[in-house]
Amino acid sequence: MSTNLPVEDHLLRMQRDLKRAATRKPSDIKWTMVIDVGKCIGCHACTLGCVAENKLPPGVVYRPVLEEEIGRYPYVRRRFLPRPCMHCQNPPCTKVCPVSATHIDEQGVVVVNYERCIGCRYCLVACPYSARTSDFGEFYTEKTPDLPGKLLGRKAAAEGYENRPAKEYGRKWPERGRGSPIGNARKCHFCLHRLAVGMLPACVTTCVGRATFFGDRKDPESLVFTLLGSPRIHRLKEELGTKPAVYYLT
Amino acid sequence: MSQKSFNALFAVAVIGLIVGAWGMFERLMHGLKPVAFGSYVPWGLWVAFYLFFLGLSAGAFLITMLTYLFGMKRFEKIGRLSAFTVLIALLCEVLFITLDLGQMTRIYRFLISPSFTSFMTWMFVLFNAMGLIYTLKVYFLVREDIIAWANDGNRPGQALYRLLSLGKKSYDESDHRRDEHRVHLLSMISLPVGLLFYGMNGAFFAILMNRPIWNSAFTPLLFIMAALLSGGALITFLTHIYMRDDELVHGLGRAVLFVLVVFLFLQVLQFFVGYQTGVPSVVASLDLISRGPYWWTFWIVHVLIGSLVPLILLIAMPHNPRAVAWASFLIVITFITVRFNFVIPDLAVYKLEGLEYTFYHERLRTHYTPNLNEWLVSLWIVSLGLVAFLLGTRWLPVISSQRGGFENVQ
Repeated sequence: MSTNLPVEDHLLRMQRDLKRAATRKPSDIKWTMVIDVGKCIGCHACTLGCVAENKLPPGVVYRPVLEEEIGRYPYVRRRFLPRPCMHCQNPPCTKVCPVSATHIDEQGVVVVNYERCIGCRYCLVACPYSARTSDFGEFYTEKTPDLPGKLLGRKAAAEGYENRPAKEYGRKWPERGRGSPIGNARKCHFCLHRLAVGMLPACVTTCVGRATFFGDRKDPESLVFTLLGSPRIHRLKEELGTKPAVYYLT
Repeated sequence: MSQKSFNALFAVAVIGLIVGAWGMFERLMHGLKPVAFGSYVPWGLWVAFYLFFLGLSAGAFLITMLTYLFGMKRFEKIGRLSAFTVLIALLCEVLFITLDLGQMTRIYRFLISPSFTSFMTWMFVLFNAMGLIYTLKVYFLVREDIIAWANDGNRPGQALYRLLSLGKKSYDESDHRRDEHRVHLLSMISLPVGLLFYGMNGAFFAILMNRPIWNSAFTPLLFIMAALLSGGALITFLTHIYMRDDELVHGLGRAVLFVLVVFLFLQVLQFFVGYQTGVPSVVASLDLISRGPYWWTFWIVHVLIGSLVPLILLIAMPHNPRAVAWASFLIVITFITVRFNFVIPDLAVYKLEGLEYTFYHERLRTHYTPNLNEWLVSLWIVSLGLVAFLLGTRWLPVISSQRGGFENVQ
């Protein structure tokens, strides 16, 4: 076996980083994501992992993987760019919210208060990364027929999955269809509810190519701290001065 | 306005209310689900209509300022009507923008958790200030006539006027002077409030980074000119309809012509600078306006019908009040396309390369066409505004130009 192979899965190291972070004061933590685009194979597992974890309805997506085709046939290549919320440290979206429904929390994560959000969508317009989507109240099971006695039908299908509330922000939300987050702005929140119980964000654990790294950038022993020193590191649209907490390795 | 025209317009407005009620029902029952806009084009027809009525109110606001703050006597005849027009336009604005909210029942959040870093909060504050100021202003402007009408036993609706006169039965010279002073004071307050309100609406868009057309110091200026043009044209048209004052219509027509030329010049500048600079996102947005799927709204509706035809009418027949009124009418009704072409093309450009090829859903696309629901809701609100305006001009002394002057009413 080649000695160049990693001795352990990065997930294990990030898990240890997470455990260490749990012993510190929340205000001492600054969550950071690093995405190695050279490793991303465009499988969209992170997108789907996020959709499943957060029970995202149709038209709402927190972490799409952008695809770009370069060249002309037969000399064609494709490159992929996962795009979660950038969790900017100077976010244009929070400043424009008229009702203080979105802010940076003490761990550096840009969060949305679903019970405050009035659904004006000014934050969607202000985000230079198009990282916010609005929940228009749609259901995957909407066009599933209800034929009592013959099929399980829409109701059963919905009850089995999409009507069940997500655990976003560590809260127990009402069954889908009864108020927020329908009508609200929604976005990636670094799976704060998972972090609170010592689990990595869903997109990190589902990444097949191990292209997504996560941890506390203020912890010198963490993997993300090491990666941030790479000369390959950069951030999207850095010239805008938004200071994203999501970095890319190219 | 003749009884026949009034009845016809009122009937149209009532039909609009009935037809549009279906859209309102859908909107109130299903939230924003029936609309066509999505997450990449998050604002649509209703925001365009909001801006349309904002412009109308701004023009009327300007006339009230000239009349009651700067004392320009020639506008006194349309002072009351202008103040009332501001109120109706504000009503339509608030309805459009409230119905555009995903959680409109939480509008009270503006009061309990406002964020003053947001221009939307300031717009809320200034909007309410304008609403309050203009409600009081209209009231003090018409109070004398209201009291006179309340004392007139032969006048229909006497009970309403008694209610509006708030128990006051007589009105003498000192009351008149006091009300005049109040109106002047309200006008003094409304000048900075109004300027901030209308300026803030332009800045609301201009401060957004990474928005190719909006993000410019030019935007607030364009907003002010757009407001002067559409609002000024509306007041010119209404002056012709209600006052039949040819001299005033001629004067207003000259002002509309000047503003129209300036506005078109600014638009040409916007295109020239945008295309010459060649920033891809700016070019993409400008292309959407001039060559996109809705090119005809720009070239045919705005440029041809809403600009060139009025330009010819205003230049060729400045002393013909009917021609001036027609030119103004064309500017007003086509101005919604200007607002539409301001709001949508900037949103309809992807902010990141490759976003269009991932995660397909109709809410995650930049193509936007207003659907039937949006049009029906718009029809309902416009019809409501028209009904309120017509009833106001018929039942309130907003058209009379002098103290106790009833000659133009009923």
